[in-house]
Amino acid sequence: MRSPSPHKSRFLEVRRPVSRRQAALSAIAIWVLFFGIWLIAAEGGMVNPLLVPSPVQVFETTWNLFVDRGFIGDIGISVWRVVLAFAMASALSVPLGVMMGTFPAIEAIFAPFVSAWRYLPAPSFIPILLMWFGTGEAPKLALLFLGVVFFLITLVMDHTKNVRKELIETALTLGANRKVTVLNVVLPAVLPEIVTAMRQMLAVTWTYLVIAEIVASTTGIGAMMMRARRFLKTDEILSGIIVIGVLGLVFDLLFKAAHRWLFPYLQEKR
Amino acid sequence: MSSAVLHLDEVSKTFALAKGRELTAVDKVSFEVERNSIVVLLGPSGCGKSTVLRMIAGLETPTGGTITLGETPVTGPGRDRGMVFQAYTSFDWLSVRRNVEFGMKINGVPAAERREQAEHFIRLVGLSKFLDAYPSQLSGGMRQRVAIARTLANGPELLLMDEPFGALDAETRWQMQELMIDVAEQAQTGMIIVTHDIEEAIFLADKIVFLSAHPGRVKEEIIPAFKSGGRIRSKEELVQTPGYAELERKIMRLMREEGQHE
Ligand SMILES: Nc1ncnc2c1ncn2[C@@H]1O[C@H](COP(=O)(O)OP(=O)(O)OP(=O)(O)O)[C@@H](O)[C@H]1O
Ligand SMILES: [Mg+2]
Repeated sequence: MRSPSPHKSRFLEVRRPVSRRQAALSAIAIWVLFFGIWLIAAEGGMVNPLLVPSPVQVFETTWNLFVDRGFIGDIGISVWRVVLAFAMASALSVPLGVMMGTFPAIEAIFAPFVSAWRYLPAPSFIPILLMWFGTGEAPKLALLFLGVVFFLITLVMDHTKNVRKELIETALTLGANRKVTVLNVVLPAVLPEIVTAMRQMLAVTWTYLVIAEIVASTTGIGAMMMRARRFLKTDEILSGIIVIGVLGLVFDLLFKAAHRWLFPYLQEKR
Repeated sequence: MSSAVLHLDEVSKTFALAKGRELTAVDKVSFEVERNSIVVLLGPSGCGKSTVLRMIAGLETPTGGTITLGETPVTGPGRDRGMVFQAYTSFDWLSVRRNVEFGMKINGVPAAERREQAEHFIRLVGLSKFLDAYPSQLSGGMRQRVAIARTLANGPELLLMDEPFGALDAETRWQMQELMIDVAEQAQTGMIIVTHDIEEAIFLADKIVFLSAHPGRVKEEIIPAFKSGGRIRSKEELVQTPGYAELERKIMRLMREEGQHE
């Protein structure tokens, strides 16, 4: 019998963090596996090539889309829609959410309204938005805006309510008036949470973007994918999906970097 | 006119609970705080010490009686009554220096003076090496010292502290207690300190206000007679002082009596 050694390392250890190297290798492995299966299935003729083109073809198509077909224009339009709608939603949600989380009187007015809207799926407004705004940019922006604004308000409000009472009371006993308390204590205290909430809701905005462009657009990544469907170009559809995924990831990383840059004091902890 | 800065005159607080029930946490409490003196509020858990302190700070409104600071009745929080809480209250997004400058900044003290004052009080609490550190880089005791410096730098007439050293280890706590004696003398500030540590109470207090529980009433005011020649500056000195052991026994007896009422 072997005596159990305390240093024996097993693959599965309860909650023991893995090394950076192992984390990187694991991440690469799962993607290699994914593309490997896809490649074998496509090249080996196990699937209908019309429905599942090989990854090599998809990457070629993506390249061609960028070089010859002005795909960058579609991407630009999509990004612009997301950024604009999200900026408008944030411009409303952040101040309103902070006010609601700070002043129960303001919460009492808006909370019943906001929480009711949250239960309405934003896409249910598409038909009426099209009737009101026609086919320009407005209905798309409106859908993205409606899709995130009520969630963002609620998140910001909840985080603001979690600002510790002692911080506010400290400010008051130092002689702070209402304005100073909100702007110099509540807001900086909740800001890291707000940026995190924005990061989460930006991901949701991308979801609504695709819906908007698939249903009611002739421009943008989603519209490109719907065009490709008409001509049975599965490779172009898959290109669209990959580009959307990459864009979502890039925005997420940008937000993460911004968080680290804006709140250096949070990193000092460890 | 007496030399007291703060008067509590039959101050009561009744909280409204659910289903129309009420709880009288503080019942007709009266005492005075002399200029530049240290008053310790002592009593069993739940006797209303925090509630009394919060009413003095203006964070809670009394349901009866009056609190006056100097000549003016207390109606809300203000910079003349600085408060240090048991929980950490450092503003994590500001450096130690800017934490300590916070009160002065919002009250319009010019930058140069602010800087000088902040450095003075940071030196007083022994954190000069950490002027530009963020609170998250400091230990619990150091953060509490930042909170004390921040409150003192704002120049309050009265410093209110609710179990400020409760979360600290014994050694740090002694250091802080000795620091408070220094501060009281250097900054010329009156203090009200809430605690349920008997030794801490005797060491710090010029006067102990002992509260009884349910409802909170003043049971006894105790002035440590052996301090008539001046405050005691170190813990070692305290335990050797004649009269200390006797006073400690007396307060323990009071605590016991209170415990039996439960
Ligand atoms: N906001 C409140 N609402 C209702 N009851 C309260 C409130 N604050 C305090 N009480 C009650 O008032 C009584 C006194 O509370 P307080 O916190 O002042 O006691 P304390 O002497 O500080 O106790 P401890 O030593 O445990 O901190 C307690 O019975 C408490 O439950
Ligand atoms: Mg208390």
